[in-house]
Order: sequence, then C-alpha cells, then structure tokens
Amino acid sequence: MKIGVCLKLVPATTADIRVAPEGQALQLSGVETILSAYDEYALEAALKVRDAVPGSTIHAITAGPDEAAKCLVQAFSVGADTGLHIKGVFDGHAASKVIAAALKDIGPDIVFCGRQAIDDDGWLVPGAVAEILDLPHVTAASSLTLGDDKNSFECRRRFEGGEQVIALQLPAVISCDKGLNEPRAATLKGRLDAKKKQPVVKTAGDLGLSEAELMPILKVMRFSPPPQKTPGKVITSPAAEAAAELVRVLRDEAKII
Amino acid sequence: MGATVLVIAEHVEGAPKKTAYELLTVARSLASARGGQVHALTLGPGALTAAGELGAWGAESIYTVEEGFENYATLALVRACVGAAQVAEAGLILFSAGSLARDVAGRVATRLGGALASDCVELSTETAALKLTRPVYAGRVRVAAEYTAEAPLVATLRPNAFSIEKAAVPSAGTALILQIPPEPSDLRSVVKEVARPSSTRPELTEASIIVSGGRSLGSADHFKLIYDLADALGAAPGASRAAVDAGYAPYSMQVGQTGKTVNPVLYIAVGISGAIQHLAGMRTSKYIVAINKDANAPIFKLADYGIVGDLTEVLPALTEEFKRVLKS
Repeated sequence: MKIGVCLKLVPATTADIRVAPEGQALQLSGVETILSAYDEYALEAALKVRDAVPGSTIHAITAGPDEAAKCLVQAFSVGADTGLHIKGVFDGHAASKVIAAALKDIGPDIVFCGRQAIDDDGWLVPGAVAEILDLPHVTAASSLTLGDDKNSFECRRRFEGGEQVIALQLPAVISCDKGLNEPRAATLKGRLDAKKKQPVVKTAGDLGLSEAELMPILKVMRFSPPPQKTPGKVITSPAAEAAAELVRVLRDEAKII
Repeated sequence: MGATVLVIAEHVEGAPKKTAYELLTVARSLASARGGQVHALTLGPGALTAAGELGAWGAESIYTVEEGFENYATLALVRACVGAAQVAEAGLILFSAGSLARDVAGRVATRLGGALASDCVELSTETAALKLTRPVYAGRVRVAAEYTAEAPLVATLRPNAFSIEKAAVPSAGTALILQIPPEPSDLRSVVKEVARPSSTRPELTEASIIVSGGRSLGSADHFKLIYDLADALGAAPGASRAAVDAGYAPYSMQVGQTGKTVNPVLYIAVGISGAIQHLAGMRTSKYIVAINKDANAPIFKLADYGIVGDLTEVLPALTEEFKRVLKS
C-alpha cells in the first residue's frame, strides 16, 4: 500500500507567542518548534499500516517555509520512505491545495493527518484535501482496524453523546485523534539513517498551482493577545465558610446561579 | 456574495440544540445588517419536527433533509449542506463548532469554493465585509480576519460564545423539504453503529457549567467528589490531562489542548494547577473558579474567584451549599 502522511511543524505548546507592535504579525523567530501533537498519531498510524501490510511505503509531506523540513527529519527517523517539502508560506486553504496536488502525484491508498494543527487550530486540511481528491474521509479517528481485504478500515470516532463506528472504503483520508495509538520514539539507528535521507523539495509552481490560486481569501487583519483578566477574589477561610462565601458571590455578584 | 445566512441547525431527535439558537440569533443580526434573510437546514430523523421550532427564532425558510439520512454519512451530509446553500444562495453558512462541523464544514467550504473560519468568537458584518475573530495558538493569540470573496464563507462558532434571543417578530418559517438523496459514492464512509453511553449529564463542549478535576484529586475514587458537585449543579464533569493520564478519568472528559475546548459560563477547576495546555481548552470561560491547596498555582491568575483549601473538605461543603441554595 502507498501511505501518505501530512505533517506540520508548529511552535511548541509552551512557547511564548508574542504579538508584534501594531498587531500586524506574530514574533515567531527563535521560538521552539515541534511536530504538531496530532500529527504524531498520524505518523504512527502510517507506520502501523506498513507493519501490517509488507511492501507498503510511507510518503511524508509537509508544506511551509524552510524550517518546516524539520518535521520530515522526524518522519525519516521513524522510517518514512520518502519526504516531500512543499516550500512556501501557505494558509490552510492554500496548504490543502498544494498537499492535494502532491498526493495526486503519489496516488496513495490511504492518507493520514492530525485532526487539527495546534497552531492555527483550523480543522480544515484533512477534509479539504479529501474533497479536492474526491476521497472519503473520517475526522478524528480514535481507533482504526484495517479490514482483511486491506481495502477498508473500521474507524471509531467520538461525537457529542457517544461514539460512531464507521465503515470506510479506501482510498481515503483519515484524521487522527489523541489516543489512536502510542507514537513510537525514534531509535538511535533510525536517527542515523534519517541523516542519509533527503526530502524532495518542490514549489507550488512545480505542482501546477499558480500564485492566484493560492491567494488567501480569508484575510488576516490583526493579531491580539487574549483579553487580560484582573486578579480575582481569593477566599482562604475554612471549607464550610469558604463554600458559603463562594456560592454567595456566584449568586449575588456574578449572578450566574 | 449572497446576503442570505444559512444556519445548519442541529437537533437531538427533533429538539433543536441550544447551539442552534445561538447561530440563529447571530444570523438574524447579520442578515438584517446585510439586507438578507435567515434560512436554516435541519438534517436526519426528526428534521421536520425540529424545523417547526425555528420560525420563532427568525428562520424564514427552513430546509429539511430527512430521507436517506438514517445513518450518518459524511459525504451525504456535505451534499445536503452544499445543496441547501445553493438553494438559499447563501453568502454565509454557520455551524456550531462541534463534531458535525469538524467533519463536514471544511469540505462544504471547499466544494463551494469559499473559505472556512473555525471557532469564531466574534462575527459581524460591515460594508460588504464579514469580520470575525478566532482564537489560535491554543488561545494565546486572537486573530481578526475579513472576508469579502464572492463564494460563501463557512464559519463555525464556538458554543456559548454568542448569546441567544428569540426573534422580536417571529417568522412564519416556511418548511421546504429538499430531496438531496445520497449518491452511492457518498457511502464510501458510513456509520454502521452508534454507541451512546446512558449519561444524563450535559455534553462537555456545550455545557454552561463545568466542574473539572486535576491530578490533585489523587485517585479515580476521589473523582466522585467532582461528579457529586457537577450533578448538584447540572454541570458536565471534566478533567485535566494529568488526571486523565493518571487514569482518574476517561479521555472523553479531558479539557485542554489535546482534549476538548470548552466555553462555559462557569468553569470550576478543582486541583488543577493551570498548565498552559489546560488553559488552552478553557480560558474563554466567562467565569473561572479555582479550588486548590497551593495559593501560588497559576490557575489563580485566570480565576475570577478562588478558594485556597483542601479539596476533600471544600468539595463536599460546596456540593451541600449549592444543593441548599438551588433548592430554596
């Protein structure tokens, strides 16, 4: 099987993200970067399928500026067969187009993505890529079982009030939720082998997409820090009194109960 | 861009969800500013019953698609939403930012040649531009964006971020049954089974009150104190990642960056220190209460009210006090 996996390099969860003066940009230079948390599950899902179907190959793809290639090194270190870096600056809509174009050339049987990137939290790319390629998709799979025919998956997905069991025919796109698997760590050998592999670098133009097609139509106007809160009221009296006081302020001051 | 606002109104067995009313309330003010109408779409078994409720909320045309939607199939739902958007000539399509939107909104936007804006917390219209604000970087930054393109914008709105109000003048709410049956190719991904745990507690992502426990609870048994308080308040119980990783609570209860994003009116954080990953999932809550024995816990910086104390004493006292007050 040909397995595609879409990866994104993002600022670390704990990184201090500052808004530049005037709010026109974010100050991201020098910020520590990681593979987006849910993409770890996508990468592991790809490895598991390859383990189960001998002869399969894993094709990792990322779209972003120079530094983005770092997440392909991580993919190589756990055993991705090829890596493609689509170089450029893309919003989620443009990224979906370039990734779909690249996947079309690869012709995968299955594509894994994280359910959302933890920087933009856009929830767009997996469904948009599937739409462009006319493939079915499953969003935020929490468990996966490859069918005996190797041409289908049984997926589980949580929703408000329960869990769905979904029958999915391949080829398809699956976005991965936390808990889908236990991502493996790279071995020392894996890390050394990764140094011998080079990603293929392409531009949007190489993939047949024009600048006009990739222009953002949802225009970013301004960044701002979240609304700041003033320190609240802290109650330190014994439990029973503190409880009574809290209930009183929630009722009388906040008026929410 | 069309002036009509199409609301994808979700319902549970024919009863519209509260989030549907949030969308309709926003849609009314946007449609009136844009000189358009509010249309709504209800889907699946019970769609027609749900449609009957929406006129009072200002929906002028209510499309229903019931037949062929007994089983959830992503592509069939996309087809129905796109079909309704085309009939309505909608310039803006609103979803609540829940699991339906996560699954279909991006695809609907792509098929219509428009854009998707997820988790909006503000949405307004001004001289032909749609203006919106959404949290990014796990709530550490907000981004304001504008949309002026001809193709429709699909926006998902964070639950509880918008107030609800019935229409001053109810609409007659014409219900139009649309025939948009699934194509065979839509059934390449189809739900064949649904497991619903028999819980009477509200859904975490839609709850107006949440009581969450952290690692300081110390054991799964101690989480009973969280459930007791939540039940006294009619609240949803939640948990921090540390508590989930320690096995005290299931992942379905996890609030935070790698769990659920919640936006209740009242969030009670018990024994939660306030790691950035947790704050990512709940910082937009209207009121935050922190209960922690460590007065220096970072959660207190975000809290409107705090109690410094032993949670095994504070929680039962609080549960009793709420019961007493809510009964009177």
